[in-house]
Amino acid sequence: MGTENLNRPNYPLRPAATPFAAQQGTTPFGSSGPVVGSEASAFRPAPPASSQFQRPPLSSGPFVGSEPTSFRPPPSIRPNDLVRPPPPSLSSSYGPPASGFPSSPAPPPPSIGQVPPPRTSLTGQPVAPPLTRPPPGQVPLTQPQPPSVPMGSPPQSLKMGQPNPNIPLRPDQQFPPARPNAQPSAPLPGPPYPTARGTYQPAFPGYPNAQPSSVAQAPPMQPASFPLQQGGFAPAAPPAPFLGRQRGPVSGILPSGLYPGNQVQQHGITPPIAPSQALAEDFSSLSLGSVPGSFETGLDVAALPRPLDGDVDPKPLAEMYPMNCSSRVLRLTTSGIPNSQSLASRWHLPVGAVVCPLAEFPFGEEVPVINFATTGIIRCRRCRTYVNPYITFTDSGRKWKCNICSLLNDVPGDYFAHVDASGRRADLDQRPELTKGSVEFIAPAEYMVRPPMPPLYFFLIDVSISAVRSGMLEIVAQTIKSCLDSLPGAPRTQIGFITYDSTIHFYNMKSSLMQPQMMVVSDLDDIFVPLPDDLLVNLSESRGVVDAFLDSLPSMFQDNMNVESAFGPALKAAFMVMSQLGGKLLIFQNSLPSLGVGRLRLRGDDIRAYGTDKEHTLRVPEDPFYKQMAADFTKYQIAVNVYAFSDKYTDIASLGTLAKYTGGQVYYYPSFQSSVHSDKLRHELSRDLTRETAWEAVMRIRCGKGVRFTSYHGNFMLRSTDLLALPAVDCDKAYAAQLSLEETLLTTQTVYFQVALLYTSSSGERRIRVHTAAAPVVADLGEMYRLADTGAIISLFSRLAIEKTLSSKLEDSRNAVQLRIVKALREYRNLYAVQHRLSGRLIYPESLKFLPLYGLALCKSAALRGGYSDVQLDDRCAAGYTMMALPVKSLLKFLYPNLVRVDEFLVQGEEFDITRRIPLTAESLDTRGLYILDDGFRFVIWFGRSILPDIARNLLGEDFTGDFSKVKLSLRDNEMSRKLMTILDQFRATDPAYYQLCHLVRQGEQPREGFFLLTHLVEDQIGGANGYADWMLLLFRQVQQNA
Amino acid sequence: MADLVLNISVPEFFENRRTLEILQRGGMGEVLVWLLFFLLSIALLVMIVIQLVCLADLELDYINPYDSTKKINKFVMPEFITQGVLCFLFLATGHWIMSLLCVPYLYYNVRLYLKGQHLVDVTEIFNLLNWEKKQRLFKLGYILLLLFMSLVWLIFNALEEDEHSF
Repeated sequence: MGTENLNRPNYPLRPAATPFAAQQGTTPFGSSGPVVGSEASAFRPAPPASSQFQRPPLSSGPFVGSEPTSFRPPPSIRPNDLVRPPPPSLSSSYGPPASGFPSSPAPPPPSIGQVPPPRTSLTGQPVAPPLTRPPPGQVPLTQPQPPSVPMGSPPQSLKMGQPNPNIPLRPDQQFPPARPNAQPSAPLPGPPYPTARGTYQPAFPGYPNAQPSSVAQAPPMQPASFPLQQGGFAPAAPPAPFLGRQRGPVSGILPSGLYPGNQVQQHGITPPIAPSQALAEDFSSLSLGSVPGSFETGLDVAALPRPLDGDVDPKPLAEMYPMNCSSRVLRLTTSGIPNSQSLASRWHLPVGAVVCPLAEFPFGEEVPVINFATTGIIRCRRCRTYVNPYITFTDSGRKWKCNICSLLNDVPGDYFAHVDASGRRADLDQRPELTKGSVEFIAPAEYMVRPPMPPLYFFLIDVSISAVRSGMLEIVAQTIKSCLDSLPGAPRTQIGFITYDSTIHFYNMKSSLMQPQMMVVSDLDDIFVPLPDDLLVNLSESRGVVDAFLDSLPSMFQDNMNVESAFGPALKAAFMVMSQLGGKLLIFQNSLPSLGVGRLRLRGDDIRAYGTDKEHTLRVPEDPFYKQMAADFTKYQIAVNVYAFSDKYTDIASLGTLAKYTGGQVYYYPSFQSSVHSDKLRHELSRDLTRETAWEAVMRIRCGKGVRFTSYHGNFMLRSTDLLALPAVDCDKAYAAQLSLEETLLTTQTVYFQVALLYTSSSGERRIRVHTAAAPVVADLGEMYRLADTGAIISLFSRLAIEKTLSSKLEDSRNAVQLRIVKALREYRNLYAVQHRLSGRLIYPESLKFLPLYGLALCKSAALRGGYSDVQLDDRCAAGYTMMALPVKSLLKFLYPNLVRVDEFLVQGEEFDITRRIPLTAESLDTRGLYILDDGFRFVIWFGRSILPDIARNLLGEDFTGDFSKVKLSLRDNEMSRKLMTILDQFRATDPAYYQLCHLVRQGEQPREGFFLLTHLVEDQIGGANGYADWMLLLFRQVQQNA
Repeated sequence: MADLVLNISVPEFFENRRTLEILQRGGMGEVLVWLLFFLLSIALLVMIVIQLVCLADLELDYINPYDSTKKINKFVMPEFITQGVLCFLFLATGHWIMSLLCVPYLYYNVRLYLKGQHLVDVTEIFNLLNWEKKQRLFKLGYILLLLFMSLVWLIFNALEEDEHSF
């Protein structure tokens, strides 16, 4: 999309500049003086960002002004304007700048003498590139080259790896004189939008003036096609870096003026632009019919935006700041940080970030590990920021300036390296911490409060009758045994077990024993640990005993008839055993805790509670014991993962608390039957045991002055206001945080974020994983919208909504989501409603086109859907706990599952395309088809009513007529079955965090179809909830109200 | 200190019939009663301030949430009880207006207690920090008002006593 591409160049794209400038040094822009200035100025202590100040740089610009100008006009001038000379008023407005220049209030510093020459030459230059774009080719490109030399640009400007601190002065000197230019040209002070437009105008007229008439006429030559080309071009084309750097000094308001995408703004210049064209360029819109309010009209269901390509990574930021960490790790809800509190308050969506600190990196892009053995880890003295690509070296390399707090720090002697004229360190290529957004430092002893702990796995296993009957015990024992070899951290790994029913059983696994010794404690009121040592043993030393124990575990309790569960006391016992070391506690719970402390009652999912103020109490832990235990666990570095299996009510709300505050997660297998669910449990348990885990971790997100992270959402406990305690972290966990502005006005142009995770690796090393990212500060709401990231927004939304269900009704929570979407769209509409006649159209930014749909899907997710009868209470709570920890991509897939049709592929054998998704509505289901729905947690395979019997028979054998709830899909000896299995494996490979169990559903087989499939068709009307089209209409109407 | 005031002075007052008589007769008794109210209010004030200090320390990261909540929770029930006693004593000594003034505070406390929200939750303390602080600041203001009124009455009665004695 054109707009998106055009976005990029507008930010201080400091690092990006390096390659571009180097390659394209011949272009006028790469070597022009101002570029250097602006470049460096991004690091200069920020200039006061008052609007007066910002304006001058806008048009200071021979550089700023004329450059964008050359781009903008073409799109705005339609073919029939070709011969038309530029409007007189416009060309005359060039006068003021020219005359205003000498008469600038600030006496031009001596260096200003240099400015005018470049000015003229530059104004000429920019014209050329646009011309060259399509046909004229190189000619104009070479033309501008000579001017670049006279400009006297300093040679170092060619390589811009590190900005030269000496240069920032230049723009300062250059800009103030230019200021008068801006004043006359900005007749519409006020909201950033008009201002930008105003400043833009003079620049445009300036352009024909500076160039001979032949040039003046040139732009119209490629009129409408231009914006498109530019879009495609921007990233690589020389102007892009130029524009990008300009942004640095120019700051604030300029961007919207600079914005090539802002065709709207050109209406002032060339009125005869087709509104529809501008619409297409500027924002997306959806026609809702000419009569807003009438249901039938207008809305084309097929035209509604759908995320059928899955989640798309936010590109613009990564291209603006190539040294940022990957979007796998950090995603901002909007990459444009608002520069003032008033702007932030107009942005009704959350401002924040979703962080997945240990995200898996694809092969070849692993995070580099750095050992600062000799110098100690280099950090800012004041704000403790770690060394990162955005720091700058000054004083010929003896000092470095912190990018977050701007403090000058000394460079330790061992770390010193010479800095060349451009501020680039000589040893840059050997210093990944200065070029990569994600690095890992090996932490010395100062970062340890105790010796690094060994990986420790402790199992608390329910052995009551239901656990044995369901087969859970057997599967768990087998799976643990099969994972023993691949547990991380051998040979230091420690392991231990406790089992419990109405009593608690400890196991002595001392390595000298042949068989484990079992000790039973039946005094539940006063729990004690019968043996101080040897309950927790080193796995490699006691391997034989552990093997023997796991082999005998299922048979030991084969005939156990005990139905009680002394969960609370067992938990306390486990705590006592583990508290020395910390580690990971895996709980396998099969029934409601019924004995001792922490026993829970069947508080029942009372239908009468729904819709009243008491509703939320069902979703919060009943007994404070669980919260207290969770807090204690976190204090002693114990992470709890809860596996719950019961077919009856188990109070996941209470049990899940243990996982929530200890950085763990909840696995819920309702009505577990080993014959059905064994694969799922095996896969997920072994993933839990074998994935790379970071132990006894703490995480902190630092960010630049003026902004602060105020609230955090996810599974963890806060140790202090901004320190997340995470006893164990792995790649499947993400944390969200919301930002707020502390100062009314931000004076910097860039905000830096640094995520630091201090942890103990399984190998016993203390390490710090540091992710750094930069994001531009913007002064324009439109820009915030343009840089928004739907995935991150939805991730934050879902966490906020789930937290809200813990203190209020489901209904309220859903309404809150809806309200925020409406407010956001209304604000956006207000931005553009003035310029366009928008009646009957719902407009939304391109970046948020899926927001309404995901919002709808969120309201229909298991955690928020309906009321009493729609989702079992335990299912709801489990879904809530899971969603609180999910990374963005998995969450989006969970909300809007993939639906693909496979029967054609099975029959005809064409290449299967995993990305060929179809909308989630019953209308896209063909009765002759076979479909797979994949939400990341389960597969639902839907058989149409009139599916070819061949397919069904091939896939299911002779069972295909039977009851599907009893049929298990397995590999059969025929081509079709093999193909289907390949497809399923392909799907599974995309998301290994969970195992997707296949559920077969036949069309019309209720309630199975309703439960598995229809509830996932989020675009349809389910229960009382709206369908997609109705939802859009509803949003539209609410946006219109009080607009 | 709070407990001290509570444990010693309150029972004495009830058991000592003479005190009660004095209470009813006014005069010197009245001064003593107001002095008692004043001291109880001071005790309340101290307890609230301690809690507030803990919260502030927590915010500034001088103390970890575990210790902080432990310390705060230690003072919650004494605070509630002292306040209840104060309210009751106002009523018992026939100071209707003062008693009524105490009732909203008492009602709020009882409601918190019944909902089980009177203790600070260590797991959520940082999310609730602002609310907890605000709540205690309001209480502080309330108690300052009571304190002020007690003081006024105390002085007023003392002066009156003075006049009577002449």
